[in-house]
Amino acid sequence: MRIEERRVAVVLALLVAIIVALFPAIARALLSDHAYWIQIYIWILFFAMCATAWNIIGGFAGQYSFGHAAFLGIGAYTSTLLYLNLGLSPWLGMVVGGGVAALAGTVISYPCFRLRGAFFSLATIAFAEMLRVGGELTDSVFGIVINGARGLVIPPVGDNLWAFQFRDKESYAYVIYGLLLGTLAVAFAVKHSRLGYYLAAIGDDEDAVKSLGIDTARAKLIALLVSAFLTAVAGSFYAQMVLFITPTRAVSLDLSVQMVIMAVLGGLGSVFGPLLGASILVPVGELTRAALGGSTIQGAHLIVYGALLMLVVRFVPGGIEGHVREGCRRLVALIAEALYGPATARPAPANAPIMHLPTNGVALGVRAAAGEATPLSLSNVTMRFGGAVGVKEVTLEVGAGEVVGLIGPNGSGKTTIFNLVTGFLAPQGGSIHFDGRSIVGLPPHRINRLGIARTFQIVRPFTSMTVTENVMVAALPRCATLSAARTESQRWLAFVGLSHRLDTVADGLSTGERKRLELARVLATRPRLLLMDEVMGGLDQRSLPGMIELVRRIRLERISLLIIEHNLKVITEVTDRLVMLHLGEKIQDGPPLDVVSNPVVIDIYVGGAAALR
Amino acid sequence: MTDLLIQGALSGLLIGGVYGLIALGLNLVFGTMRVVNFAQGTLLMVAMFMAYWLHVLTGLHPYLTPLVTVPVLFGLGYAIQVVLITPLLAREKTREPMSVLLMTLGLALLLENLALLLFRGDYKTVQVNQTNAVWFLGDYIVSVSRFWALVALLATVAALWAFLTHTDLGRAIRAVGQDRQVARLLGINDRVIYNYAFGISTAVMGIAAATLVPFYYIHPGVGTSFLLKAFVIVVLGGLGSMPGAALGGLAVGVIEGVIGIWTQAAVAQILLFAVFIAMLFFRPAGLLGVERK
Repeated sequence: MRIEERRVAVVLALLVAIIVALFPAIARALLSDHAYWIQIYIWILFFAMCATAWNIIGGFAGQYSFGHAAFLGIGAYTSTLLYLNLGLSPWLGMVVGGGVAALAGTVISYPCFRLRGAFFSLATIAFAEMLRVGGELTDSVFGIVINGARGLVIPPVGDNLWAFQFRDKESYAYVIYGLLLGTLAVAFAVKHSRLGYYLAAIGDDEDAVKSLGIDTARAKLIALLVSAFLTAVAGSFYAQMVLFITPTRAVSLDLSVQMVIMAVLGGLGSVFGPLLGASILVPVGELTRAALGGSTIQGAHLIVYGALLMLVVRFVPGGIEGHVREGCRRLVALIAEALYGPATARPAPANAPIMHLPTNGVALGVRAAAGEATPLSLSNVTMRFGGAVGVKEVTLEVGAGEVVGLIGPNGSGKTTIFNLVTGFLAPQGGSIHFDGRSIVGLPPHRINRLGIARTFQIVRPFTSMTVTENVMVAALPRCATLSAARTESQRWLAFVGLSHRLDTVADGLSTGERKRLELARVLATRPRLLLMDEVMGGLDQRSLPGMIELVRRIRLERISLLIIEHNLKVITEVTDRLVMLHLGEKIQDGPPLDVVSNPVVIDIYVGGAAALR
Repeated sequence: MTDLLIQGALSGLLIGGVYGLIALGLNLVFGTMRVVNFAQGTLLMVAMFMAYWLHVLTGLHPYLTPLVTVPVLFGLGYAIQVVLITPLLAREKTREPMSVLLMTLGLALLLENLALLLFRGDYKTVQVNQTNAVWFLGDYIVSVSRFWALVALLATVAALWAFLTHTDLGRAIRAVGQDRQVARLLGINDRVIYNYAFGISTAVMGIAAATLVPFYYIHPGVGTSFLLKAFVIVVLGGLGSMPGAALGGLAVGVIEGVIGIWTQAAVAQILLFAVFIAMLFFRPAGLLGVERK
């Protein structure tokens, strides 16, 4: 974007923000039924705030909560109870409510975050429903009256800032405008922080994120806390606006579902998507309600919500935000051209190849100290799956700077060993040490922090992120700033030969490129031991030499390597030592050429054929 | 007190028959596609209105309505899969199909509120001979209509089990559920299998509706409470397990019935959700499900 366009964009955005802010005043001046329109305006902004808050955990991290109304209810009840019982201003109660909701979020997160996808959604529904039904049944808790299903009424006191009550709707409109602005600012900050990168990657593939040394549980928890806090604040606002709350209304499944629908319609994972979603759904729902006979039918607007949700899921899977953004970009370009004349020198297209950086171990600063002791040692490691043996009594060592190959037929336990070393599985017997320290029982991200990284047999790029962003996720824990991580990532991408793809979305990469991307990603975690699971697998003959060369260069960085590979010719070329597994047991360990010429090994690898002859 | 408890358990067991039928439908779809169908309860509601109007307009006894509703609902389910879900599955190959969950959620909202618009929110009931009839089992009362609901569940489970183990299509459905890649390699068209699975799971709602209509109210919102219970049952009994769904349904019915003797039914609801979360946490494969690697 040229500088003029940026200026136009900022001016336009400010203009829109000001017009929206002044809408209540404008409506009062121009419309006779302004109270009605201001009320709709308030609902749009209120739902936008809820959906934006939901999106921080639901959209950014892909954890679809269907129980967010629970946080809304907690906020509404906390501020109301504090006001009714202690006379505390709801302005303060709002903050307390946010805190209580965050606390509840912490409790809920413990069981829920172990669940994936739909199960997470179902568990959040269960929690919210428990809270709703429990609230409906309870008349008082520890002497505090909550009136069960009858709910709480906040006595009106007229215009009173301390009591958070206003006679006119306009004041509420300005309050919710401010709250929404704050919520958007928080969402923006999260999205563009390192947490935002982690969350986006978690949404794509949580296990892969763990393997890069990132504590995904912590990242998700922080996102949930922020989201719960903001939703609860919206809940306090709701209570002050309607001055009457019941568990049935405040913690309803419908309310939770509406937050989800607005975020999905607008665009999951985008900062302004939920706002767009609310801006469309609330008025459309209101029109439907009016057209279909006013308030006599409770769920008339939900007909439209359901239909729109179906259409968006089917035809606009990313939500409308991307399209709106593109439209705005064009508008801005047009205006800029009209004001400042046609654009002159365009900057180079983003995917033009950039200069390859000279790469060697010293420049990259990963060369390990020579002569270090054996970094990895497994002794008598055993792992069973039900009745089947994964690995049995395997003892294995990888020395500093050593390159060890792991071979064996399918099902011989190679990948199981990788999963054991990297903490994705815990062995039933034996010990695993790294640098003399036991790593059994450590979670994957901790093991990665110690200096062990892995690639996956079937590559797992974060498909919705660009190539650079993929590597940034891995580099971020070791970088002070985002831009440092970006620079670092681009160095690693140059190292693996992907500099011409920096801004490509990873989904569009070829198999060979994906393998290189995965290597860049694990290298960015600065490992001292790298476990490579069939990095040559699935490559055609022309790409193979490049990959072999890359493995050699990684080796020059004095990173110890443990490599699973089926191509015996390749693996004897690049390794110092070969370990052969068969049915979970180690049957050979020695210099590559000795191992591959051993009759037992030949028999197992070509066994059937040799026997038939 | 013991008498009351046994009576509560008995009533619960009988209504559990209906819960089991709905969980059966949910499980069939989840077992084959790994998709949670949020519209299952709504499809039950649709089936109930079909049975209701058939009875009101033609005088057909509710127990005979499956003759009409089961084929129609099968077609409806088949069509939903083809038109709404297959295109999404084609798009999301590897990831968990969350978009399908959202699609069924949208469908549920649409159908439920359309029904509200068309039929209004009043509670409709059907009076037939079985509605208020009771039998005595010793000192205990057995509601005739609920008894037939239990029979229907057992018969449906038996029929489905026979179908899944003894027919080519049934075996294909199970094969796809266990490993769709391998099933595909063996020449099974998994897309068509999904259509059948969704069709059958919808058709089962016709049977559930037929047994429910004589003793339960008919209302556009009736599906939601059944759906939430069915989720609990499916997780309790084991995902994809047919006997698990049936037993889970009966267990939930008994729990509700027994707790209902002491206190309000809503307390049972809270307890069920707590059990649900505990199950997800400690034994995600369910009581009868098989743990997958």
